[in-house]
Formats: sequence, C-alpha cells, structure tokens
Amino acid sequence: MERSRNGDQNAYAELVTRYQAIAARTAYVITGTAADAEDVAQDAFVKAYYALDRFRTGAPFRPWLLRIVANEAINRRKAAGRRPTVGLSVVEDRASGDTALSPEASALAHERRELVLDALRRMREEDRLVIAYRYFFELSEVEMADALGVARGTVKSRLSRAIARLRTLMEGEGRHDA
Amino acid sequence: MTREPMSEHELEATLSDVGERLAYPRPTRLADAVRARLREPRPGRWWDMLRSPRRAFVPVFATLVVLALAVLVALPDARAAATEFLRLRGIVIFQAPAIATPSATAVPRATFAGALVTLDEARRTADFTVRAPTDPSLGAPDQVYRGKSPNGAHDVITLVYISRAGIPVSREAGVSVLVGEFRGRIDETLFAKVAAAGTRIEDVTVSGDKGFWIEGEPHLFFYRDEAGNVWNETLRLAGNTLLWEQDGVTHRLEAQVTREEALRIAATFR
Repeated sequence: MERSRNGDQNAYAELVTRYQAIAARTAYVITGTAADAEDVAQDAFVKAYYALDRFRTGAPFRPWLLRIVANEAINRRKAAGRRPTVGLSVVEDRASGDTALSPEASALAHERRELVLDALRRMREEDRLVIAYRYFFELSEVEMADALGVARGTVKSRLSRAIARLRTLMEGEGRHDA
Repeated sequence: MTREPMSEHELEATLSDVGERLAYPRPTRLADAVRARLREPRPGRWWDMLRSPRRAFVPVFATLVVLALAVLVALPDARAAATEFLRLRGIVIFQAPAIATPSATAVPRATFAGALVTLDEARRTADFTVRAPTDPSLGAPDQVYRGKSPNGAHDVITLVYISRAGIPVSREAGVSVLVGEFRGRIDETLFAKVAAAGTRIEDVTVSGDKGFWIEGEPHLFFYRDEAGNVWNETLRLAGNTLLWEQDGVTHRLEAQVTREEALRIAATFR
C-alpha cells in the first residue's frame, strides 16, 4: 500500500491482483453484464491509483476501492441510458449444494432463487449494492459503512430498507403470477 | 398458484445462494491492463493546477492547434470568423465555425492560482456573496478554492464536486460538478467561451435572472486579461455548462447533466 502511494506501479499491480475479483463482482452486481463489469473494474483501478494521495494511510483499502468501483459502475449505467432492469444471471448447473436435497426441495430452492433474482434485477442499483455487500460478499458492518460512504449507524437501516423493497418487488411478482 | 412469503431466514439463505451462483466475470489479467494504462500519459486534470499556486503560473506549452485558435480569438482581424454574440457580466461567448480539438497534452489548464479554503472561509472573505447548491444529492463541495480573476481585481470562488452518483465525471472537467462564481463589472471580459457548430446555446432564466445553457459538443473556455489577451494556458474544453447572473454575481455550473437538472440545481443555490 505504502509503496503504491509512492508511485510504485508494480506494487499497485499486486493490489489489483488481490482485489480484482471483488471489484469485478461488485461492478457486475450493478451493471449486470460481465464485459461492462470488467471495464468498470479496470477504470476504477486506474482512478484509484491516481487518487491514492487522497487515501488515508492506515485505512482499509478494500471498502475505499469498492466505493470507487460502485460509483463508476452506477455512473456508467446511467450514462449509457439506464434500462430499468439488468441482465444479472446465475449459473444453475452447480452440483454442490443441491446434491443433498430431495428433488422437491431442489425445485423449491430453484424457484426461490428465480423469484429473488427477478426482483434483484428490477431493484435500484443502490439497494442491490447494499444487499450484495451483506449477503453476497459478506462485508462487515464497518466495511459496508465505508464502502457505501455512510455512517455506521445507517448501515442497518439501509439494509432493512433494501430488503423491504426486495420483498415488495417479489410480492408484486407473486400477485402477477396468481 | 399462491406463494407463502419466505421467512426472514429463507430469504437470507436464498440471497446467499444467489450470491454464490451469480455469473460473475473472472478477470485474470486485470493487473496487466491497469499497468499498461498507468504507463500512458495521464490525461490532464486542470483543477490540479489550482492546488499549487507555484505550478499554476508555470507557462504551459500549448499545441499549435490551440495556439492557432487562441490567436484567432485574440486578434481583432481574425475575430470576424469568431463573432461575439452573447454576453453576461464578465463573460463573453463567441461563435466560431469550428473548434479544433486540442490534444490531450494541451487541454485543461486553469489560470488563476487558488488557495484551498473551506466554504465558510470563502463566504467570509470573498468580495461578493458566495452561494452554493443546497441540493442534497450534491452535498457539500469536496474542495473550495479562492483565487483571483486574471486581472487581479476580483475574487473567484471555485467549488469542486469530484464524484457524485448519477453525474458522470466529465471528460472535460475531470470531475462530476464544477461551480465558479465571481462578481465582474458589466463592461469587462474576464472569461470567454467559444462555441462551434455542434454546441447548442439556449437562453434560460434562473430565479428571474438571465442565463445561458451550453450543451452538446465541448466548448472552449478561457480567460482574458485586462488588455483582452487570451492566456494560452487557460484554454480548456468544457462540457455542459449553465451560466447565469444573480445579484451581480456571475455563476457557472459545469456538469454532464440535462438542462432541466442543471436548472434544478441552480435553483437550490443559497
């Protein structure tokens, strides 16, 4: 970190390697396409490098980086003329978890995933991001506050609001089906 | 078919499940791509010049293209090609048939040195009433500079909003939002703009006062001293800009937003 601040690009490349997965995942949650997400991650790392002098020594790098990634991703989506939904998709044929489940339970789990995913696609980026930080990437509350740029006390209320909106979107879909 | 709403636990488990299965990209060579980009010359960020009073006065070598354009604007003979047609207190707007795009090395430079101050300090010390947007989506400016107009006669306050959700960081300004304010005399020209064919300029009214909205192709923005000379190092391209006067103070809001959004932000200046 210190070496990167002093302009050592090789040291910075190590940071990129360490955080590229979480950066690209975060971008993907917002943009919904893998290609855009990789572009966003790349842009964010370049921006972060030039902003290192504004980075507080001793502060954790990851949430600071994620803030740049998320902002970059949201801006890109808006600049591209935002569509109301994103094309987030899941890889369904993962054997791991489902092998232990009965066919009925497996079908139920699949149905629930589809229901949740469909609501996630229609959510505001900001809400989707809060949910992703907590449930997909399992960030701590402190890290979430830093990554979202909000006070620590605000994280819980943001999260519960996002969950409430997710449920509303899911119920809307449920009624639609019925 | 009716569905029972999921319990809290079921919903959380499903979210974790979805999170594990998302078709995330798997970048592998990102470090190489980033390193290659860091080796390229960095696009100029003109407001960096504001940070260091010493550096701000170092002459900057403009490319021939920019020099040619500056000459076009500065020389009375050549001005026939670029006609002055709109004016606000301290600002004149020229229309030119075309603007050559200056190369990246020559682009954005600021003219005046500015001292980094707080908004409160700016309000206490400036020679006019400083206003700032109270729009909650912008919040407080990230940086505030107090500088002097090129002729040294007026304070110029610059508010910098580096990055705001929903407002793309402009290629021209390098930040999401820039606000400039100064109180100029009606008969002087401190700042000038050159707009070409791809730039639209519309009359607007902000809180009952006259203003202009400049949109489309980036336009040139620069400063002139008392003798009317263009400072070459001050030429830079600017994106969408709202210009207006309020109580004798000229305001300029530069941000890649729509006209309506710019007018909405302008109406929140207090």
